[in-house]
Amino acid sequence: MPAPIRVLTAVPICDGHDSAINTINLEFIRHGIEVVYLGYHRYAQDIVRAAIQEDVRAIGISSYNGGHIEFFAEVVRLLKKQGAADIKVFGGGGGTITHDDQRVMQKRGVDKIFFAGTSLTDMTQWVRDRYGKAPRRGAGTSAEMKLARKLTAIEDSYAKGKRAKKSAAKKAKKSAGTRVLGFTGPGGAGKTTLIDELILRLLHREPKARIAILSHDPSVVGEGALLGDRATMINSQDDRVFMRSMATRGQAGGLSPATEDCLRLLAQSGFDYVIIETVGTGQEAMPFQGKLVDQTVLVMNPDYGARLQLQKIVMLDLADIVVVNKSDLDRARTAMSEIERRLEGSGREQKLISTVAKRHRDRGVDELCDLLMREPERKKK
Amino acid sequence: MSKLGRVIEAVEKYNRHVLDEVKRARTDKKFGKQLLDRWDEIKRNIKVGRAPTGLELPRLALPEIDEPGEIARYLLGDGLPGEFPYLNGAYKEMYLEPLQEVPIEIGSFAKNGQGKNGHGKNGKTAVAKLQETEEPTRLFSGMGLPDDTNKRFHYLGAHQRSKRLSTAFDGPTLYGIDSDADGVFGKIGEGGVAVDTVEDMERLYAGFDMGAPSFSASMTISGPAPIIMAMYIAAAKRRFGAGVVPKLRGTIQADIFKEVQAQNETIFPVEASLRFLGDMMEWTTRNMPRWYPVSISGYHIGEAGSTPVQQAAYTLSNGFAYAEMMANRGMSADEFGPRLSFFLDCGLDVEYIALTRVSRRIWAIGMRDAFGAGPRAQMFKVHTQTSGRSLIAAEFRNNLTRTAAELMLAYMNGTNSCHSNSADEPFTTPSEEWIRLSAHGQAILLDESGIFKHTMNMLSGSPGMKAVERAVEKAILDEFRQIESLGGVMGAVENRYQRSQIQNAAHRYEQQIYDGTRPIIALNKYRDEGEEMPEVELARTSRAKQQLQVDRLKKFKKKNAAKAEKALDKLAAVAETNENCFPALMEAAEVCSLGQISGRLQEVVGRFRPMV
Repeated sequence: MPAPIRVLTAVPICDGHDSAINTINLEFIRHGIEVVYLGYHRYAQDIVRAAIQEDVRAIGISSYNGGHIEFFAEVVRLLKKQGAADIKVFGGGGGTITHDDQRVMQKRGVDKIFFAGTSLTDMTQWVRDRYGKAPRRGAGTSAEMKLARKLTAIEDSYAKGKRAKKSAAKKAKKSAGTRVLGFTGPGGAGKTTLIDELILRLLHREPKARIAILSHDPSVVGEGALLGDRATMINSQDDRVFMRSMATRGQAGGLSPATEDCLRLLAQSGFDYVIIETVGTGQEAMPFQGKLVDQTVLVMNPDYGARLQLQKIVMLDLADIVVVNKSDLDRARTAMSEIERRLEGSGREQKLISTVAKRHRDRGVDELCDLLMREPERKKK
Repeated sequence: MSKLGRVIEAVEKYNRHVLDEVKRARTDKKFGKQLLDRWDEIKRNIKVGRAPTGLELPRLALPEIDEPGEIARYLLGDGLPGEFPYLNGAYKEMYLEPLQEVPIEIGSFAKNGQGKNGHGKNGKTAVAKLQETEEPTRLFSGMGLPDDTNKRFHYLGAHQRSKRLSTAFDGPTLYGIDSDADGVFGKIGEGGVAVDTVEDMERLYAGFDMGAPSFSASMTISGPAPIIMAMYIAAAKRRFGAGVVPKLRGTIQADIFKEVQAQNETIFPVEASLRFLGDMMEWTTRNMPRWYPVSISGYHIGEAGSTPVQQAAYTLSNGFAYAEMMANRGMSADEFGPRLSFFLDCGLDVEYIALTRVSRRIWAIGMRDAFGAGPRAQMFKVHTQTSGRSLIAAEFRNNLTRTAAELMLAYMNGTNSCHSNSADEPFTTPSEEWIRLSAHGQAILLDESGIFKHTMNMLSGSPGMKAVERAVEKAILDEFRQIESLGGVMGAVENRYQRSQIQNAAHRYEQQIYDGTRPIIALNKYRDEGEEMPEVELARTSRAKQQLQVDRLKKFKKKNAAKAEKALDKLAAVAETNENCFPALMEAAEVCSLGQISGRLQEVVGRFRPMV
């Protein structure tokens, strides 16, 4: 089976009209496309950075608030500047983009503008035809682009059923000083928000640190996937953060078949921190089996149900740190004491932290950050 | 249970109460007699007016009933116009033309009424009354720089007695970003007016008497609304002195819930946004008695693709959530209730025959029985805009017909004010030609036609309308129950319930268009394949103008640099506490730009994390 088409979609800066793009995203996914959705109100440079890191074949921009000629041209210009002109740009804006505008925009390098009245089917078909065949491309000019393209090669080799060869890379160790942190937990626990808040702190506390994030979203059975974590990660849109979104592509357990190889590559690429986030997992999940991950964090929602449920959660025995997020909820105190008792049984020195990740400057997240930082930096602090 | 739960109970209880009273009216003779007497008295007091053709008509039409049970059902279940539960109108007379009671002293009327001393004792008749009433027309506009929009305001107001301005802001302003910020060039003055500073605010309303009773300004902005409100006050003070503040009349949208649910123009986290909003509402309610500090808006929910019922349900529940928030601040419903106003979308779906009528009824019952509000705080005052989403680019002149039908629906529902969309809106900020036609559409309906000016209840109460009312009310209450089961409005927002419901509805709507089950003329039915996109004059803001805005802002910042830093420090310090920020915000608005203020506040409370 050919590897799914990956495209990035977004709405420009100062524009919150996401109704059209949400509908189009759904339609793309139904037709097997993997959509990295960056959300609305996005700067051109954030879109381009994300497109390069995610190594998508094209960027789809939905613009309804005017200024589209400048905005689309800026995206094309930035792609060219970074040597990524092979990432194509298409888009639309209902009736706000006129035929005259379209001519100017195409002259400036935009692939295609869809007008009001184009059917979703026609649009999806065009995207599949135009971007369906993997283009022949160079390895990339910048280090970031090279890394992104290697990740694509790994993912695609799994999709085509050819597992990546056992190479020297597999045995090689991770870069000196790189910490690999694994985050897992049930859906709705707030993992993504928590990670984004950690990124904010890490970037601030270590002004030179570079961070990689490997984030996962589920594929819809037999269809594509909506990779939407980037849209909510406001602090991770930074030149020091390399983020890659992966679809699980049919594998259960919270990760993709290609995850381990991708994670290994990231761990060997000189980042200070590599953070991996699973999709929302069930009670039996044990996602981080290899030795690559230095510390594992289980993020829980206080509303896990009856106390008995805790006995069944395997990660409570394996995680190094357990976080009860959303601890502003009524049930949080009970949850903390129940989990504390459950952890006593494991005989390991696990840490238990309570956080409210959505709260600005939350103390619990500060505390978690302390625990996850590398020793020397922790002392410096 | 949140207050919404109590509202659900209140409406159910009230409906049972109406049925009980109907029964009682039929069995309890004394009660039945009282109702019959009251009914006779109401009928006796109805004045008779005369159409220009000479036909005499009652100013109020009532159902032809004479049985106590039915009278009870009507008076309690629907209410007369202007009476609880306000199904038939928030006010008694709405759009009726002044009663042509022919003045006896014709001569003195002409002399005094149209002479210099227009308010002479004898002149207190038709003409004097005409001057008092305001047209319900309020057209939304905003383009380019403040000077350009100001010119448009003067153009629009030229034909009207009252100056009712409605302001659209450009993207950077809506997101609290300065025009000189990186990455926004190209967006300045697009889709609305650019406002960065108090000086821009002065230019925007230049030439208007901001404190006059005939002037009111509406500002469509929510994320940075408290900052923009502070700037508006600062601009008014600069021009007219501090004494103008209590006289200021208008509305600021400031509806954070609908931003998070549908429109996506939020700049602070939800709790912080609500706190700043509450601070502003508390201050304006106490110091600006004629200002509406929040316009609880379904329009954007509807435009984002919701069904009409979702629109009404989310808007009403958001309204009750704001009421709960103000009540928690220790204000009484009678204090804040009259300052809440609503804004609804009106499209072509059948629900719109009665959506606003039902909303008015639910609001009144909820405010009275769940919040203990008196009559002034029970009234659902609403501005309606015809649906922009229903307009299409193909054969765009058809949009005049769509808008006319929607206007008819809006006025049938007794909207308090109305914006009619311009037919060229699918491609551009409305041009003067089409905006004029859209304004005239309203005048044709209200002034030229006799549909709304002679008789209240002209189209109320038909069996079909009743059927829609019942079905819509039931569906709204079902939506309330869903929201309540998720912990009320705030809980549902955090679960992204409203967002996902709206997105699903939008997707279904698109599919219906593409599979033809939802006919759209000239798009999927009677389509003209050869049609070219129309050549319309586009309103775009030139690069030179955008640059001018940037230059003006830079100059302002340079001039006020020292003062701005002080004001921002003070504002940040107050924001760290639980005190009301609004006074510090007003001080800052005099010397700081919008972006400086929003940026500093974000340092204190964080940025909004978008929901997808």
